[in-house]
Amino acid sequence: MKISVNWLKEYIPVTHTVDEMANKISLTGIESAPVHNGEGLDKLVVGHITSIKPHPDSDHLNITTVDVGEDEDKQIVCGAPNVANDQYVIVALHGAHLPEGKRIKRGKIRGEESDGMICGLDEIGVPVKYVPEAYHNGIYVFPEAVTPGTDALTALGLDDDMVDMDITPNRADTLGMRGAAWEIGATYDEKPSFTDAKIDESKVKENSDLTIEVENKELVPDFMVRVLKNVTVGESPLWMQRRLWNQNIQPVNNVIDAANYTMIEYGQPIQAYDLDKLENDSITVMNAHSGDKFTVDDGTNKVLNNNDLIVKSGDEILGLAGVAGGINARVTAETKNVVLESAVFDGAVVRKAAQRHDLRGDASNRFEKGVDNGAVSDALLRATQLVDENTNADEISQEIVGSYTEAKPTVIQGKISHINHLMGLELSSDEILNILDRLGFETKLDGDDLTVTVPTRRWDMSIEADVVEEVIRIYGYENLKGTLPAGMETAGGYSPKREFSNRLRNILLGQGMDEVINFALMNKQEAADFNVINTNYTKLLHPMTEDHEVLRTSLIPGLINNVAYNQARNNNDISIFEQARIFDRKDGVDRPKEVEYIAGAVSGNIAMDSWNTTAKAVDFYNVKAIVEELLSFANLDADFDYVATDKISNLHPGQTAEIIADGQAVGFIGKLHPDYQKEHSINDTFVFELNVDTLFGMEKRNVQAQTAPKYPSVSRDLAILVGKDIESGTLVKDIFANGGKYLSEVNIFDVYQGKNIKSNHKSLGYHLEFLNPEATLTDDQVEKAFDIIKDSLVQKFNVEIR
Amino acid sequence: MSLNDKLKDLRANGIDEAKRAERIQELNDLRVNLLGKKGPITKALRGMKDVPAEERPEIGTLANNVKQDIQSAIEEKMEELNRKIVAQKLEEETIDVTLPAQPSKYGTRHILNQTIEDIEEFFIGLGYRVDAGNEVEEDHYNFERLNIPQNHPARDMQDTFYLTDELLMRTQTSAQEGRDMESHDFSKGPLKVISPGVVYRRDDDDATHSHQFHQIEGLVVDKNVSMADLKGTLEALCRHVFGAEREIRFRPSYFPFTEPSVEVDVSCFNCGGKGCRICKYTGWIEVLGAGLSHPNVLEMSGIDSTVYSGFAFGLGPERFAMLKYGVNDIRDFYLNDVRFLEQFKGVN
Ligand SMILES: [Zn+2]
Repeated sequence: MKISVNWLKEYIPVTHTVDEMANKISLTGIESAPVHNGEGLDKLVVGHITSIKPHPDSDHLNITTVDVGEDEDKQIVCGAPNVANDQYVIVALHGAHLPEGKRIKRGKIRGEESDGMICGLDEIGVPVKYVPEAYHNGIYVFPEAVTPGTDALTALGLDDDMVDMDITPNRADTLGMRGAAWEIGATYDEKPSFTDAKIDESKVKENSDLTIEVENKELVPDFMVRVLKNVTVGESPLWMQRRLWNQNIQPVNNVIDAANYTMIEYGQPIQAYDLDKLENDSITVMNAHSGDKFTVDDGTNKVLNNNDLIVKSGDEILGLAGVAGGINARVTAETKNVVLESAVFDGAVVRKAAQRHDLRGDASNRFEKGVDNGAVSDALLRATQLVDENTNADEISQEIVGSYTEAKPTVIQGKISHINHLMGLELSSDEILNILDRLGFETKLDGDDLTVTVPTRRWDMSIEADVVEEVIRIYGYENLKGTLPAGMETAGGYSPKREFSNRLRNILLGQGMDEVINFALMNKQEAADFNVINTNYTKLLHPMTEDHEVLRTSLIPGLINNVAYNQARNNNDISIFEQARIFDRKDGVDRPKEVEYIAGAVSGNIAMDSWNTTAKAVDFYNVKAIVEELLSFANLDADFDYVATDKISNLHPGQTAEIIADGQAVGFIGKLHPDYQKEHSINDTFVFELNVDTLFGMEKRNVQAQTAPKYPSVSRDLAILVGKDIESGTLVKDIFANGGKYLSEVNIFDVYQGKNIKSNHKSLGYHLEFLNPEATLTDDQVEKAFDIIKDSLVQKFNVEIR
Repeated sequence: MSLNDKLKDLRANGIDEAKRAERIQELNDLRVNLLGKKGPITKALRGMKDVPAEERPEIGTLANNVKQDIQSAIEEKMEELNRKIVAQKLEEETIDVTLPAQPSKYGTRHILNQTIEDIEEFFIGLGYRVDAGNEVEEDHYNFERLNIPQNHPARDMQDTFYLTDELLMRTQTSAQEGRDMESHDFSKGPLKVISPGVVYRRDDDDATHSHQFHQIEGLVVDKNVSMADLKGTLEALCRHVFGAEREIRFRPSYFPFTEPSVEVDVSCFNCGGKGCRICKYTGWIEVLGAGLSHPNVLEMSGIDSTVYSGFAFGLGPERFAMLKYGVNDIRDFYLNDVRFLEQFKGVN
């Protein structure tokens, strides 16, 4: 809420600029910003129209003479339809600055001299929606005489300095000027003084015919009304109007304005009804029936449900409680008798109703955050006073109560030592009591025991921690010296699993891959594209868009999007990875398991065309090398097999392998299917994905150091011809199985298929290393082992030794 | 010509020829020709028998000197030629060092993860555990246990993606507080933990909002934890992240799960507090929210709030990175354009 300094001065002395105040209030209580109204506007004065005649050359312009407090009246041509003699109006003099850089200059309008401009409120910066309806299409006319030449901005309150307080939901006590005065007063050590509301007791009549029934007193703990009879509805006094439009409230009439003014003053919303438009002599507060139709006072139609609280008379819905008045019983120029309502409605009910019907406003904002139930009756009295002063009623009723809950101050017990201890300060009890006194809290001290009695206007206070906050913020956080927790030493660190995944990440970074972060929520198609683990989808109940609807089952779709995004921007050579979670939901379970995965995608060239090199496009084996290095650094006591598979849709059936660790599937590696690549407009791309949780769960290698061998190794080359479908991995396994204990390495150095080779066959060349760490190997030993290897290959795989 | 003179002639010619040689081979030939068994010196010494006996030692010495002098002339020249050959080789091998190298690339860690890891390591140094928690969480831990019951207005601040009535995508890493507190054995010392991770909000993605973003929650619970401890801890953090000269300030705020609650500002690292565009001319930049653990939150985890107290804070790595590196659009973090990613090579 914006706090007008002029208004605030009625309660506390103000000696600081709004800039200083906003800063100080931000640091001790509520985030605030200074507001300088009327900045950049000048030469705007009040003028009195002393004559008017039609422009000879126009059917809508008038020529006026206006007293602007100078020796001579000014002649001003005015086109507003509502201009008339003897009006007090806003005059922009020659040279005046108006909003948006507009400048007024004397000149001639259709041949007639015009020395200035008569303005509407919207022309000097008041948004149209806050301008009284009567002045929407014309000039503004002051409701009372104002000395000509008076600064118009001052007369209209439009140069008011204000502090805009942006409250947190717990500090709705400052959504009224009085509460704000308490808060700002405590900041500056000034106790506010208020004048009590008072009505003309001579007008008060004991009896009223109106009866009130509140059906659910839990949701409506307070509900009371007063009736004012034979009022004269009209325009409010200027002082009231200007405070309203400065609060972004449109002045309507002197009843509704008084109700709104009371809300700003007390923080308590007041609703006004036309008594004569009630269906009968009763008002009932109750839940709506589902399907009830309600027309808001602005004419919009709503269909209610049974969670909506309504104020009713007979079958007529007067208002949606705490949210909006209805069109039926609204106070208009013709209204004679008025009902003013002051109440407390359940915050959650109001909040939901306001949300549901898209009717959030000043009243609902206050009810949902809470109002002072100790001020409901006072606010009603004040509203009654203001309406009476504005409308001169004949008769005022007593308070008619539908429900009432006694407001009790909150009593909080605490200890001076504990309060100090939580703050990390050593304030004396006097200092603490003084701060609480500034806030208007009563205190009692018994040794270390502190009793704080909090008035009902601070309903946010309930426990000792709240007292701690009040003391430390008023004392000033800037006076608090930082320390570090002094407790027992603790050993910090990552979890072992996180350390493991960090290591895997570092390997991929070392392989030149950039790390990416993608969204876990994806569209249905993406979630299905690589659901290799064949899990159930986890879907949002209410997604915002189809793009983010299902939790991912694989990291690959995100990486594909990244490749596509980059290649569309001509970043063609891409090597990226992501380490994050996928969501694996088992049958019949709502909650998915969150499983850590690591995945990569490589596309384009791994070596560039340059002055001394030629480009090399990535292939399956480049990516396999990355995965192998990654797995070797996983430090697992397992053998990894790459098993060809054509079962993963969207991957190339002839260039994909499942990765099996001691019989357990841990991931896959493969080339994207050409159709899938085309669909996503990307070049040849190879991907891999590994389940980090599974790898982490496996047995680690137990490393026992061995001295590097001192004896030389002996090598043999093996060239064979074999059926083309026999996988090299199978042959290597067989070579190791038969090579004896000295066979240390088998490396393939040649694969050839084609010319000079039997059809359906391929030629393979292997380099075998034999090593005995204990002694020099003899040719005999090596030859023997080599023969066994060859015999086995011939027998099992029908190879031809070449 | 006396033998003596003959030898001297041979020396003069030999040295002369050595000096004139242009190739190693010439020198090798010269050595064999002059100093070999069939060479002129050996031949000349055959005339020794005609020399009187008393002069023979003198001639012998001269002959040896002549051999040595020629030898050294050859060696000297040999060295000179070798030096020339090396120099020529070096000249031939000279390259243009300004030509580009073949890249030997190390990958770049995502800037958000660099930011997170930097903060994690800072807190690990202060004895904090890192506990990432779950991204799918129960309403109970995400809200109820943080003193945010059904219908609490604070639920308006964060619109939530629900999976079922009970399950949701966590809206804050504070959701881990309840789990950390209830599982901690206080007989083994204080609870000091940070929870980094991904959180989700029902927001439209734009330059400043993302439906998925990161948070780091910090929590300390012990017998003597105070607001002053919170201030000191965050002061140290902000100096670590934003520079040793930084100051912080607390402003009162409201979070349902802390009381007192504060917003924390750090003095502007760009202008040092004088005021600039980054700090909106205030000299301060809001960087995180914090407070003392609300007694209800402690009690709900079975911790006696009259004996124990705690502090908690939450910060946004996106915000930190945006501030520190001048990133203007949060979506850049999730588009993963490699040109964007790679500019953060080695910053942390
Ligand atoms: Zn700055």
